[in-house]
Amino acid sequence: MLKNITRRSALLAGLAMMSAVALPAAAQDYPSKPVTLVVSYAAGGGTDAIARVFAARLETALGGRVIVENRPGAAANIGTDVVASADPDGYTLLVGNQGPMVVNPHIFNLKNDPAEALDPIAMIADASLVVVVGPRLAVKTMEEFLAKAKEGELIYGSAGNASASHVATLLLGQTADIALKHVPYKGAGPAVNDLVGGHIDFMVTTIPSVIGLVGDGTLTALAVTGTERFPELPDVPTVAEAGVPGYSASAWYGVLGPKGLPEDVRARLTAATAETLSDPEFVAKLRNDGGVPSTLSGQAFADFMASERARWGEVVESAGIKVE
Amino acid sequence: MIDMFQNLGLGLSVALTLNNVFFCFIGCLIGTLVGVLPGVGPVATISILLPVTLALDPTGALIMLAGIYYGAQYGGSTTAILVNIPGEATAVVTALDGHEMAKKGQAGLALGLAAIGSFIAGTIATIVIAAIGVPMTRLGLLFGPAEYFSLMVMGLVFAVVLAHGSLVKAVAMILAGVLLSCVGADMETGRERMTFGLHMLSDGIEFVVLAMGIFGFAEIFKNLADPEKRDVVRTSIGRLLPTMRELRENVGAILRGTGIGSILGVLPGNGAILGPFASYAMEKRISKRPQDFGTGVPQAVAGPESANNAGAQTSFIPLLTLGLPPNAVMALMVGAMMIQGIVPGPQVIERNPDLFWGLIASMWIGNLMLVIINLPMIGLWVKLLQVPYRLLFPSIVAFCCIGLFSISNEPAQVMLAGLLGLVGFALWKLRFEAAPLALGFVLGRLLEEKLRQALIISDGSMLTFVTSPLSAFLLAIGAVALLIAVLPTIRRSRDEVFKDA
Repeated sequence: MLKNITRRSALLAGLAMMSAVALPAAAQDYPSKPVTLVVSYAAGGGTDAIARVFAARLETALGGRVIVENRPGAAANIGTDVVASADPDGYTLLVGNQGPMVVNPHIFNLKNDPAEALDPIAMIADASLVVVVGPRLAVKTMEEFLAKAKEGELIYGSAGNASASHVATLLLGQTADIALKHVPYKGAGPAVNDLVGGHIDFMVTTIPSVIGLVGDGTLTALAVTGTERFPELPDVPTVAEAGVPGYSASAWYGVLGPKGLPEDVRARLTAATAETLSDPEFVAKLRNDGGVPSTLSGQAFADFMASERARWGEVVESAGIKVE
Repeated sequence: MIDMFQNLGLGLSVALTLNNVFFCFIGCLIGTLVGVLPGVGPVATISILLPVTLALDPTGALIMLAGIYYGAQYGGSTTAILVNIPGEATAVVTALDGHEMAKKGQAGLALGLAAIGSFIAGTIATIVIAAIGVPMTRLGLLFGPAEYFSLMVMGLVFAVVLAHGSLVKAVAMILAGVLLSCVGADMETGRERMTFGLHMLSDGIEFVVLAMGIFGFAEIFKNLADPEKRDVVRTSIGRLLPTMRELRENVGAILRGTGIGSILGVLPGNGAILGPFASYAMEKRISKRPQDFGTGVPQAVAGPESANNAGAQTSFIPLLTLGLPPNAVMALMVGAMMIQGIVPGPQVIERNPDLFWGLIASMWIGNLMLVIINLPMIGLWVKLLQVPYRLLFPSIVAFCCIGLFSISNEPAQVMLAGLLGLVGFALWKLRFEAAPLALGFVLGRLLEEKLRQALIISDGSMLTFVTSPLSAFLLAIGAVALLIAVLPTIRRSRDEVFKDA
């Protein structure tokens, strides 16, 4: 009998304790096993590099292992599907960028709509692109470039169909009302090579892919695509400043989870991301890579993605890009 | 010239510090390991190690990453020769005659020639980078889409030479390879082609999957189907190292391979993969006994292996002089430099001479280390062949599956390789060769990409391929080579006609 009572009171005490700490307990336990960060591209790309550096810092902030898992394929839609169908427990996360998150829904018939199947946690970084010309098109300013473009169709290279570099150039053509001819490449590298070799006229590409060549005068940077000038290129105006008002485009990266993350886990991840993004060493690495750390999280990040999605939808639709 | 020695002196002084020698050694060791393990490539390895290198100083980090890359080229030949599994596109050619040599009990000789040839090639390529790296960059820039396309056409013509059987069968296999390379999303419209709605095919077939299937798995099926033959392999070991005479016989092949590989390595879009194929074709062309190629000819290993290593080294030229990465590994190196705060581009040589010349000098030191690591290993590797095959093959299969799975964490890739293994086995039974198929596959991707880019730029005019002098020249060489290849066949059939009459 006595034994029973003790057992029951112990049980009650235990229950009381559990209920008292129930909410924080889950967050304190998280992460109790390694967190998988899915990258929708093969190892070796720009998103992969950012994700790996980010993961290394996130480990410190979360106090647990963070493993990068590459799930490339189907224009980065496979990664989206993997995370969308994972358990929303915070152990499977996605590093998403504007391609699969907001451009692909307009181009492909997706199994999972990122806006519905994913829970945006926080944006990591925003990277401006740059308009560069090579020896084939000897212009020095954006004004000269626009004048040349009115004379005849210019040829541009992109990192691939529907890549950030492609859609940003489409937007430029539409906003400035100039006709442009698209040559897709497999990645920015070979396209820049042909730009330097004088086989194509210009490119809108990530700043890191060309900054060395701009510094030495091999290529000329006409304008940056973001809303602000890039610190390393103080003399280069924004596209909007240089004669195409209203234009802005950038490549961005963020962390997302499957829909329905527990509130405490999400709070823990938001805090850990914020901590990572305030680490000066990590920020320096991001800036070296052309990125500006972001402050958007949760609903603000979701709103940002919704506005990006609407914007790029118009661009790809009027350009007639659609994969059946 | 004096400049060059001064610069190399500076480079050696950087590369020979205790720290950097250590990083170089670690890089070469990891590289050899990932090269030997089928399916695990330098791209995956380097990207996994990228965050680790953040803590290192930039020069040490890049020396280590570079070591992984060229170390993997050394290691890759080991698996290709011993078990006929080319882990990289560049090792396909090595497997052709290298594995035949191993079957004849000359595994030691093949591995020794591969290592020594690679070392000589690496040494020469290091000097090439130091002496004429900057002018060679311009060569790469001359190749726009039209020129590149013509180079690929020329490559396809030379691919015919790779085959040692029927010409018609070889052409059929090359075309089959080109066709397989078209699987996946269209580069211009994004529309999926020949994927049967399968997600795993949407980005095309991975080369490693194809190679491991039609070479590696097919080889295992072959051995299991024919137990007598495989016992011959494991009973005779042969000498471990080449003699001076054998070295003398192969030094020409090594030097020619180095030259071809050095030039092709500079081309954008991974031109280095063409090097071994071109070297093989050349050795076969100038050989007194071309009919022996494919049955274990030492020159057919020494030449392509040298071309492979020289190309791996000179592919650093566009990266170092322009910041332009010619392949995925170099793209990772750009990433590593950016994260370290070094802007890759023409200024690196002026702003970071320590890094520039240190990295170049470290390549030579690395090559020396690789020979030292690899030569004593040969005995060990050859002993591996003495392990009974019933024990050996399950472990080969297991390693292959791990490597295949690691490509995209997708079990479907392992199954696809298994399926391709059956295809490879069927091809062997029907006396079709897999090597022309692999080359067709490798060239096919670039062929389509460059053809379409060239035609977009020229507004669909085919004239673009002959109005560019370089492109016209390459096409002309291809045409002549084709004529030379076809003429004996025509003459022979004509002779036969006359005989009948």
